[in-house]
Amino acid sequence: MPSISRRLLISVSLPLALFFGVMMYVLDSGFRALSERSLHELLDAQMVSLIAGADPLPGGGYAPPAQSLETRLASPHSGLYEEIRSSERQWRSPSTVGLSPDFGPLLRSGERRFSYGDFGHDRVAIESRAIQFADTDSPAGTYTFSVAVSLSPYEEQLWEFRRQLFGWFAGLMLALLVTLAALLRWVLSPLRRMEREIGEVEEGRTEKLGEGYPRELAGVSGNLNALLVGERKRVVRYRDTLGNLAHSLKTPLAVMRSSLPPGAPAAALSSEIDRMTAIIEHQLKRAAASGGALLGAAPVELAQVASELRVTLLKVYARKDLSVELALAPGAAFIGDRGDLTELLGNLLDNACKWCQVRVRLSAAVEPVSEGRARLNIAVEDDGPGISEADRARVLERGVRTDQTVPGHGIGLAMVLDTVELYGGTLAIERSALGGACFRVRLPGR
Amino acid sequence: MRILIVEDETALRESLKGRLEEAGFTVDVARDGEEGLFAGREYPLDVAIVDLGLPGISGLELIRRLRADTKTYPILILTARDNWQDKVEGLQAGADDYVAKPFHFEEVLARVQALLRRAGGWASPQLKCGPVVLDTRAQTVSVAGAPVELTTFEYRILEHLMLRAGEVISKAELTERLYDQDYERDSNVIEVLIGRLRRKLDPEERLQPIETLRGRGYRFALAREGA
Repeated sequence: MPSISRRLLISVSLPLALFFGVMMYVLDSGFRALSERSLHELLDAQMVSLIAGADPLPGGGYAPPAQSLETRLASPHSGLYEEIRSSERQWRSPSTVGLSPDFGPLLRSGERRFSYGDFGHDRVAIESRAIQFADTDSPAGTYTFSVAVSLSPYEEQLWEFRRQLFGWFAGLMLALLVTLAALLRWVLSPLRRMEREIGEVEEGRTEKLGEGYPRELAGVSGNLNALLVGERKRVVRYRDTLGNLAHSLKTPLAVMRSSLPPGAPAAALSSEIDRMTAIIEHQLKRAAASGGALLGAAPVELAQVASELRVTLLKVYARKDLSVELALAPGAAFIGDRGDLTELLGNLLDNACKWCQVRVRLSAAVEPVSEGRARLNIAVEDDGPGISEADRARVLERGVRTDQTVPGHGIGLAMVLDTVELYGGTLAIERSALGGACFRVRLPGR
Repeated sequence: MRILIVEDETALRESLKGRLEEAGFTVDVARDGEEGLFAGREYPLDVAIVDLGLPGISGLELIRRLRADTKTYPILILTARDNWQDKVEGLQAGADDYVAKPFHFEEVLARVQALLRRAGGWASPQLKCGPVVLDTRAQTVSVAGAPVELTTFEYRILEHLMLRAGEVISKAELTERLYDQDYERDSNVIEVLIGRLRRKLDPEERLQPIETLRGRGYRFALAREGA
């Protein structure tokens, strides 16, 4: 799809070129007609003076007196040539010396002829007229007077004219197009700005489009901003609602749980409360995961989220002598929602802290996969017992805990898997070099 | 041990209060953030339980203000949302641990006891000072392997002294740990209890586990082990 400015340039320069072409053709043919007419006038004038000046020669025939010849007729190759010819006699002006001029056939009395010919290298226009002199009756008494004028000065003039015409027109067209391009640049600059700002919004470098668009675009930019802000607000409100829903559902459950008397009949109720809790937890979290970057949301630096979680987990697992190591490549950022990333890393790290002996390691790096696209690789490892191959698939199932004695609702990992799939990534469980499990998350980047 | 519960849900608050009292705590309750702030500032607490979803001053804000007020006792948060963002925010605000609703009371109790131990510098639920061993989970005391029967008040005083073994603890502080503000305070009771404790732990007066510092208070004098 060609850009708007290219379309405009093409659609303007085509008629412009056509217009200039037609103009050039009209002017050129006008000029040619004009110069042809002046050629004819010159030939006519020469013809008149030739006929008027021709005297009968003593031996027969006619010729203008040598002393009355104008200089152009007297000097060879001058560009002006004359001939007086009958079937028996012939006179040619001295300017024809050295040429083999062909003035055309003899004409019959009263006949006129105009033609073009070549005298050597000289292209000429020839006018001929036959005159029957009254003193003889024979065809030999019919004389054909011819005048030839070299065309080269005219042609030179014509070409000079064309050169100038073309030069002017080309210059004019160029100037017009340059002006047009500059105008387009100016006229389209708000569009260009909008394009740039939308790009920035997409990359998360800015939250919304700026102010000060012209009236025609102000509507579009205003609505776009309203949409961006509205969408952001909507997500926040949606999450708040879900959070409040979780709170208002779980508090009564907590009350129920705390009012249970100890003993066997309560155990059944208690396990039902557990089930309800797990369902609420899972469904609400699933609903809250946004599964994508909001327009205008900046990529989330892993470093900040990870270090916050690290501090939190070290505090929560203070009873264990933990070391949580962060090995984050610079620029490791998550394209998506901060809350989703916090849940993802929080669940994985919490799980690792739960199972490890002393070491937990979070590493992340961005790996380029193809032109312009990158992938975010995250690995959470621990030095715990690890997960046997047979258990790996089962661990990722909803609500399954391989060891029921470790607290937690067991939906953490299923949640992780949900989030990863929502973002179009993959989750794999491997054996870590630390000795325990290694959860490897691969997420598509920008 | 004196504990504050800040929880707006009456049934939950009362049930927690009852169970914690059964477990030997002196319990203060607050129904919202304002009450919580007052109690948290004014009472000599050892630990607080704060619900994050409070009306008025939010749980997070309450914790921030208490910490800004240089209150250092451990705080356990209760959260219904149970997402990491809230946990991170809660612990950044100054809380020390969290429990997701709906909880098992045993879990809350275990977390509270762990927090108290950590605050006193103990890593394990068993406090050992020389031959004296106090198990905070089972609430039992033994000397050189022989169990010692203690009354609730005796146990509470010993636990308090042992959690902060080596520190001087005033008589007034011990009194406040034993009674809610409603009780009439009688400092003689502490002296009587200390006397009974000394006799039970050290009938032959060889260990001298509890030192009296005249005019300042008491100190558990035996060296910690495994802390």
